[in-house]
Amino acid sequence: MNDFNPNILAFCCNWCSYAGADLAGVNRLQMPPNVNVVRVMCSASVKPEYVFKAISQGIDGVLVLGCHIGDCHYLTGNHRTAKRIPLAAKILDKVGIDSRRVRLDWVSAAEGEKFQKVVTEFVEEMRSLGPNPMKEVRF
Amino acid sequence: MSVKHTLTTCPYCGTGCNFFLQVVDGRVVDVVPCKTDETSRGGLCIKGYNAHAFVNHPDRLLHPMVREANQLTKATWDDALRRISSELNRIASEHGKDSIMILASAKCTNEENYLFQKLARAAIGTNNVDHCARLCHASTVAGLLQSFGSGAMTNTIPEFEDADCVLVTGSNTLEAHPLIGARILQAGDKGAKILVVDPRDTPLSRVATLTLRQESGTDVAWINGMINVIISEGMLDKEFIDTRTTGFEELKEIVKKYTPEKVEEITGIPKEDLVAAAKIYASGERAMIAYAMGITQHSNGTDLVRTLANLAMVTGNVGKESTGVNPLRGQCNVQGACDAGALPNLYPGYQSVEDAETKTMFEKAWGTKLSDKKGMTLTAAFNKALTGDVKAMLIFGENPMMSDPDIGHVEEAISKLEFMAVVDIFPTETAKLADVVLPAACYAEKDGTFTATDRAIRAVRKAVDPPGDARADWKIACDLGKMLGGAGFEFDTPGQVMAEMSAVAPIYGGIDYERIEKEMVRWPCPSKDHPGTKVLHADSFKIGRGVFAPIRHTPPAEETSEEFPFILTTGRNLFHFHTGTMTRRSAKLQREAAGPYVEINEKDARDLGIADDSSVKVSSRRGSITLSARVTPWIRPGTIFIPFHYAEAAANRLTNNALDPVAQIPEFKVCAANVQKG
Amino acid sequence: MLLERVDNPGKLRFDVPYQMAMILTKINRFVKEGKIAIVARRCDEKAIAELVKRDLLDGSRLELIGLACSAEQVEACRCTDPCPSRVDIGQPSEPVKDDQNFAGMLDMSLEDRLDFWINQFRKCNKCFGCTLNCPVCFCDECLLEEKTFAPDKGIPPGLTFHLIRTVHLADKCVECGECERSCPVDIPLLSLRKMVNRDMKKMFNYVSGDPERMSPLLTTLEGDPMEDDPNVC
Repeated sequence: MNDFNPNILAFCCNWCSYAGADLAGVNRLQMPPNVNVVRVMCSASVKPEYVFKAISQGIDGVLVLGCHIGDCHYLTGNHRTAKRIPLAAKILDKVGIDSRRVRLDWVSAAEGEKFQKVVTEFVEEMRSLGPNPMKEVRF
Repeated sequence: MSVKHTLTTCPYCGTGCNFFLQVVDGRVVDVVPCKTDETSRGGLCIKGYNAHAFVNHPDRLLHPMVREANQLTKATWDDALRRISSELNRIASEHGKDSIMILASAKCTNEENYLFQKLARAAIGTNNVDHCARLCHASTVAGLLQSFGSGAMTNTIPEFEDADCVLVTGSNTLEAHPLIGARILQAGDKGAKILVVDPRDTPLSRVATLTLRQESGTDVAWINGMINVIISEGMLDKEFIDTRTTGFEELKEIVKKYTPEKVEEITGIPKEDLVAAAKIYASGERAMIAYAMGITQHSNGTDLVRTLANLAMVTGNVGKESTGVNPLRGQCNVQGACDAGALPNLYPGYQSVEDAETKTMFEKAWGTKLSDKKGMTLTAAFNKALTGDVKAMLIFGENPMMSDPDIGHVEEAISKLEFMAVVDIFPTETAKLADVVLPAACYAEKDGTFTATDRAIRAVRKAVDPPGDARADWKIACDLGKMLGGAGFEFDTPGQVMAEMSAVAPIYGGIDYERIEKEMVRWPCPSKDHPGTKVLHADSFKIGRGVFAPIRHTPPAEETSEEFPFILTTGRNLFHFHTGTMTRRSAKLQREAAGPYVEINEKDARDLGIADDSSVKVSSRRGSITLSARVTPWIRPGTIFIPFHYAEAAANRLTNNALDPVAQIPEFKVCAANVQKG
Repeated sequence: MLLERVDNPGKLRFDVPYQMAMILTKINRFVKEGKIAIVARRCDEKAIAELVKRDLLDGSRLELIGLACSAEQVEACRCTDPCPSRVDIGQPSEPVKDDQNFAGMLDMSLEDRLDFWINQFRKCNKCFGCTLNCPVCFCDECLLEEKTFAPDKGIPPGLTFHLIRTVHLADKCVECGECERSCPVDIPLLSLRKMVNRDMKKMFNYVSGDPERMSPLLTTLEGDPMEDDPNVC
């Protein structure tokens, strides 16, 4: 285990994942402190542009969390997310950025433990990947 | 509904890209690049893609205006022209013909500039005609004329692609001449070495093989240093020096002192880098030098240009393809305005006004007596206006209230004039002070030719009618010429003007409109069957042998002090053009670079407690401006940069009007300044 | 280029690869009525299909004159799909078997690949040629003119700028190659587009230019259209 502390950005949907994160907090589940949570109304509002901007600016990993398919507050919002985010990850891979730096997962309001698990795993994975190479790049 | 596409030439930099103006129902709506054009090859820069945006702008001048009771009021063409001619006649008879100055324009066509200088010389009777080349490449014209015998780019734009080494200095090529920069990058992709010498890190330097950062105003030192290294490494082209040049021994003596150690002391360039750069340049089979304002806009600009010529000649990089000394001219037709004789000392085709034989030739051609006294330069004219020796100015499409150094001084000079008339397409800072303002047609509204930086003559074609009562400048010049009693102003088309110009200027001898329609011709082209010239000085220099000029480093006119510890340098950015008259009225360009800013190094900013985007006050001995800070790693500590496009914080309020003694070009690139939080 | 009288077409050239669909979109807003005939290569045809599908062009007012590209043009464009559905001008040529120009890029390690693209994107001087000449780039308000994503701090515009264009084109790019041709500094944009198009095929079995099928990015997982505006990038 190395001592690199990745800087993670997590987009959480207001209706499920953010509540899930809240639950994890209320239950005092232990989680790495590297995650900056951004609350969004729906995971579909996380356009690939935001992911690209975060990665270009040197964020080590981007986590997009939404409601399970079928549970979307806006009915089909997360269908869009389900297609967009994997595409964004593929595009990053094409220009030489590890596609594992972007992860999509579904966390419901009741899944505090899943939130903890996803975040912990992701932080560990980013730790093993090392820093985002874009940190060193100046255009 | 009607749709047409008119092929024309870009009105911005001197690269000379062609594109189609898309015209729907008599209105220019868009730009489409031209894939068959040799220069642009279907590409354009952002300025080119937005070249249609200002044409329909509501600020366009639509009617002539005359100052009545200190207010510019609408007038008829007849009244306005009569006012100009009567005032000029009065001033000529009261104060002499040489108290009148005409400023021609590098934004107007060859034909128009030919008419402007004819207006001064044949209708008014003075050689007082000049244009903004005085502020950009006057030192190139003077310097290369002395070294090589011709003051133009020695090679052509497409040749950049095949060079082995491109040395770029004092040019932010990717921003100021984007399509030439693109050629340099292509050469780089093919394996050429790109050397950039600049106090700022430019977009080009970030992809260059080697970048040297000298302190502003120390250019003679590093160039002499490179020659020193080339001599001591034995990388000279002996044969070239022996057979084609003179004065090498004197040069050798001078550069002896410029050892890499000494150069490091003067310029701050690490000696290892200087040696490496010299070796790269000298070992290239085909090495091109490209330079722009960073070389010319100094109080020793002419000397600097000659030092670069020395560097090219010691390595034999002149007169072959993909070599040479290549000044990148900054305006669409600054090359052509010089060619057409809008210079106080030269007739069309670079023929001296002091040469009796030439004068007789022109007197015969124009059917009138001409003055044999060299005229005044643009920079001198404003100084002379202050002393009362210049009483009237007729300004075609220039904006000295933004473009000239030390604007405070220009403003005072203009206030001393008895009469000033301005012909322009927009109400510029200068037009607002004029006694008569005439509305002109822009590039999309007239026919003519521009001469690109590589001497290629490019057609400008009329796509739409001028707005309101606006008229093409060539018509205005003809009208004024006739009204002032001059002979030979009866032209119906620009083609007829070109016919006359090609008859009196041998370098344009073979140019006519029919030919330009079909092919791209580069001057010198003395006759109809001459194919034009791509590479100058191929077999011999125009003056026989190339002349080495032994030149010593001298410090810039103004040095930093405790009160003004920074070196201020000015220039362009990608998105705007010069005084912003056109580009700041183009929404997309304005979006990209909306307001004035000063680039300052991160370390300096930290020391002064200046944050990115915060407001700062920059001052020099001549004035001060307030603008926002752009904190960046891309500039040398101790140096600051301000683009000069912004009227609200005009960089030229600060700049120094110290002049080069030969070319009378001002030192825009170096002045001492101070930065404070503000 | 736009002819109103067909009896005298003047001097016409078919060897210069202008993207007629792009020219059409530029003047379309001015043509209020009547039919427009357009000389369309296969790529124009596909681009027009993408635009018609999104209600940006009225297909019933268009008459396509099919132009088959010559073998040299097919070669120059590395085109894998050169033949229009109807051929009125020219002879159909064989497509390039499989464009492998990007194979080398995919063989590189991630580090090398990033290095390669950063150096390519460093050359960009933000001319917007790739967007302006793109036949399927249609937003009125371009995100690339938005300061959040493309800061107004000079050039080069950075990685985000290019990635945004890549994702916006993922479900529309018809591989006409106009972006690469109009790029003054030769950034291999067509190769990037082709790589992403291949991913789209793998992930959603979708190929842009299909006149029938809606973009998978605009439908639910079951393939039903989503309710909101289909024309946002």
